[in-house]
Amino acid sequence: MDTSQYLDIFLDESKEHLQNLSDQIMELEQNPENMDTVNEIFRAAHSLKGMAGTMGYKRMQTLTHDMENVFSEVRNGTFKVQPGMIDILFRSLDALEEYVDNIQQTTEEGTNDNQDLIDALNSILKNNGEIKPINKAESAAAAETSAEPAAEGKDEKQPKWGEIKVSDTERMLVEKAYNEGLKAYGITVYVEEACVLKAARAFLVFKALEKLGEVIVSNPTAQDIEDEKFDLTFSLIFISGSTIDEVRAAVKSVSEIEEVFCDTYQLEAAPEPEHKKPEQEKAEDASPEPPKPAAATPTAAPAPAAASKPAASKPAGKPVVNRTVRVDIEKLDNLMNLVSELIIAKNSLIAATAAEGKGDNGNAVNEQIEYLESVTTNLHESVMKVRMVPIESVVAKFPRMIRDLSKKLGKKMELYMTGEDTELDRTVVDEIGDPLMHMLRNSADHGLEPNDVRVANGKPEVGSIFLDAYQDGNNVVIEVRDDGGGINIEAVKQKGIERGTITPEQAETMTDKEVIDLLFMPSFSTAKKVSDVSGRGVGLDVVKSKIESLSGEVEVKNSFGEGSAWIIRLPLTLAIIQALMVVVGDEKYAIALGSIQTIEDVSPDEIKLVQAKEVIHIRGTVIPIIRLNRVLDIPPRDEEGQNLTVIIVKKGDKLAGLVVDELIGQQEVVIKSMGKYIKVPKMISGATILGDGEVALILDTNALI
Amino acid sequence: MDEVKVMDEQQRNESLNRHVELDTTQFIVAQLGGEQYGIDIKYISNIIRMSRITRVPKVSDYIVGVINVRGVVIPTISLRLKMGLPEDEITKKTRIIILTLEQHESIGVLVDEVKEVVTLDEEHIERVGYEKDDKERFLSGIGKTEGRLISLLDITSVLADVMES
Repeated sequence: MDTSQYLDIFLDESKEHLQNLSDQIMELEQNPENMDTVNEIFRAAHSLKGMAGTMGYKRMQTLTHDMENVFSEVRNGTFKVQPGMIDILFRSLDALEEYVDNIQQTTEEGTNDNQDLIDALNSILKNNGEIKPINKAESAAAAETSAEPAAEGKDEKQPKWGEIKVSDTERMLVEKAYNEGLKAYGITVYVEEACVLKAARAFLVFKALEKLGEVIVSNPTAQDIEDEKFDLTFSLIFISGSTIDEVRAAVKSVSEIEEVFCDTYQLEAAPEPEHKKPEQEKAEDASPEPPKPAAATPTAAPAPAAASKPAASKPAGKPVVNRTVRVDIEKLDNLMNLVSELIIAKNSLIAATAAEGKGDNGNAVNEQIEYLESVTTNLHESVMKVRMVPIESVVAKFPRMIRDLSKKLGKKMELYMTGEDTELDRTVVDEIGDPLMHMLRNSADHGLEPNDVRVANGKPEVGSIFLDAYQDGNNVVIEVRDDGGGINIEAVKQKGIERGTITPEQAETMTDKEVIDLLFMPSFSTAKKVSDVSGRGVGLDVVKSKIESLSGEVEVKNSFGEGSAWIIRLPLTLAIIQALMVVVGDEKYAIALGSIQTIEDVSPDEIKLVQAKEVIHIRGTVIPIIRLNRVLDIPPRDEEGQNLTVIIVKKGDKLAGLVVDELIGQQEVVIKSMGKYIKVPKMISGATILGDGEVALILDTNALI
Repeated sequence: MDEVKVMDEQQRNESLNRHVELDTTQFIVAQLGGEQYGIDIKYISNIIRMSRITRVPKVSDYIVGVINVRGVVIPTISLRLKMGLPEDEITKKTRIIILTLEQHESIGVLVDEVKEVVTLDEEHIERVGYEKDDKERFLSGIGKTEGRLISLLDITSVLADVMES
C-alpha cells in the first residue's frame, strides 16, 4: 500500500501524540496513581502504535507496543508506576522522537532497534513493575508471553451506555420519545483493534444511525469521537422508531466494527444528585478491572465531569463538522504577500487621487477609497490572525527539559509557565524555540544555586524558574525568570578583564547594565566549569542576534542574590506595520508607530546641553535629542531659529527625541527585505514601497537609542 | 521599458549556426566611460531605465541605494565606482541592469548605456590571468568582435566582493 501521501499527516499526528505522551508522563511522575493519566497514555501509545504499523515503521511499532503493554498492566492494576519506570519511559519517548525525526528527514525510521529499551520495558512487565538489572535471555522470553495477557485483559467487552451522563434536556427527549411511541436505545460499539481510521468508522456508524433516528448523546462526545479521542469503544443513546435488530444491523453494516451491544434504554428513576455523578462514572469506567482506590478519589474525578459537559449542552448530538483546516504555511505566505500588494496598490490609489486634485466627484472617490482602506486593513488583520499560532507548540517541551536538567545537574528545580496561549506570528514562533531553550538552560545551570547553598541562604530548597508570556501592545513579551543567585556583576567584570574584553580601568567606571551587556558578547561565559548543559561560550550572543533578527530585543533585570529576569520583546507580526512617515532633508523615512510616544514642537532655545549632549526637558523628564540628519548623513536644511519637530520614541523604559524636518502622516507600510547583497546599518530595519512607487527606508528606533 | 537592441538578421543567423558548431556565450555589452563591458546574459533578468533610487545611509559609496522593481526592493550598485572610474553622470541613456544569481537574489547595476548583444565563442575570448589589480580581478576575459575589444565581467566575483564588504 502506498502510504506516502499520508506521511505528512502521520508526522503531524505522531508529534502531537508524542507531546501528549510527554505531558502525561510528566503528570504521572507527579501523581503516579492517577488512572486518567494512565488511560490517556495508553490511548496515545496505542494510536501511535497503530499509525506506525500502518505506515510500515516496524521498529517504532515494536517499541510503542512494548510501552503500551506496560501501561496496559498498570491500567489493570497488576503493578504500580515507579520512579525508575518513568526514566525508561522518557528514554523510550526520546527514541520514538528520533524515529519520527528520521522519518521526517529521510522517510525511513532508521536502523536503531533500541533493543535495550525494549528489554527494559519487558523486564518491567516480567518483574511486575520492579526495575531490575536486565537479564537478556529472560526478557526476550518475557516479551512473547507478556504481550498476550496484556491484550486480553483490556478486551473484556460489555455494554457501557450506562456510563453516559444524561442531562435534563436529554432526559426530556427520551421521555418525549417514549410518549410519541418511539424507542430509546443504548448502544455500545467496539471498533476492531486493527482499525486505523477509528474516527471515520465512528462517523459512518453515526451516519447509518441517523437514517433511522436521532443520536441524542454519546460518550465520548461527538467532538472527541471525531478527533479520535477515544479508545476502541464508544456508547450512545439513540431515539428511533426502528427495532433493536434493525438498529444493530445498521451499525453492523459498517466495516471494521467488532461488536455492537444494543438494548432499550431505560431512564433511571430519579435524577441523581449532581455531585455524585462524576465519581460514579469514574468507578464504572474502571469496572472491567479490579477496583482501585485511586480511580475513585475526588482528585481524579473533575476531569471526566468537565469532559462530558459539552455533550450535555448539545442535546442533538450530531457529529459536529470539523471547524479547522490544516493549511500549508506557504499558501499563507502567498496570501500575506498578496495582501501586501493590495495595500501598496491602495496606497498608490490614494497618492494618485491626491495628485489629481479635487475634481467634481472628488468626494465620492475619497469615500470609496476610505472604504477600500478599511477593507484592506481588516483583511490584513484577518490574514495576520490566521498566521498567528500559540507559543504552546514551542514551550510545551520545556517542562520535560527542565526535569532532565534537574536530574543531570543534581539540583531540584521546578518550572512554572504562564501564557502558553499567547499568540505570535508563525515565522517568529518557529524561530524562538532555541533562544528560549538557551535561556532556560542558563537559568537552570548558572542562575539557580545548588540546593545546599539555597538552604544556607534561607531560600526554599527547590529552585523556581518562571516562563511568562503575555501581549503588551504591539509586542509580545516572554520573560524567563529564576529565583537563583542573579548575575554576579563583579565576577563578570573579573572575567571581562581576564579575557581582555575590558581593561581594569574600564571595569571601574562601567555601569551594571554595561557589565551585563558583556554577557551577550561572543565567547563570553562565566560558568566556572564547562558543562554540557550550557557554558560552551556560544549562547547568549547567539540568543541576542537571533532575537534581533526577528526585530525583537532582550533586556536583563538583575538583582544579585535574588535572581535575574531575561525579558524578550517581539513584534506581533513582521510583515505589515503602522508607521509614521517623516521627511529628513529631502528623504522620506518610516518610523514604527508602536515605538512613538508623543510628537513635540520644540523651540531651539529649549534644547540644553548636558555633558556635551543635547537634551530637552519635557513634563519633568530629561530626554536626549538625536538629530536624524546627522545620524543619517543628510545635509541639514537651512532653518536656523525655527521650531523643531521632535518625535519622542521609547525603548523599554528609555526615551529619546528624534528631530525630523517634516511629518507626512500615518500610513500602513509593508516591510520588504533589502536583500543580502548589502549590509544595512542597524538603524535601518527594512524598506517599504510608497504609493508612488518610491522606496522609503524604515528606521529602527531601538538601534538609535 | 526593456531596451535591448535586437541583433540584426545576419548576426542572428551567424549565432544560430555557431550554436551548433561551437561553445558560444551571449553577452550584453554595456558602455562604462570609454570602455565596453560584457555581462553574461544568463545572469541578467531585466534591464530598466533609470528610476528613483533611495539612498541608504552608512554603506559603501559604490552602493547607490535601493530601487523598486515590480514590488521588490533591490539594492543597486554603481559599476563605475566599483571599477574605480569617476562617479556616474545620470543621462537619458543610463540603464540599470538587474542581475539574478542562482540564489534568486537580485541586484541592480548602474551603467552608462546598454549597447547590444554579442555572441562570442571560446575562440574569440582571451582569458586573462589573475592580477591583483583592483579593476582586472573582476574580469573573466577579453572578447574580440568586429575589431572591438570587450572586457568580459566576472559577475560572481563582483557580487561576492559586494557581499564581503
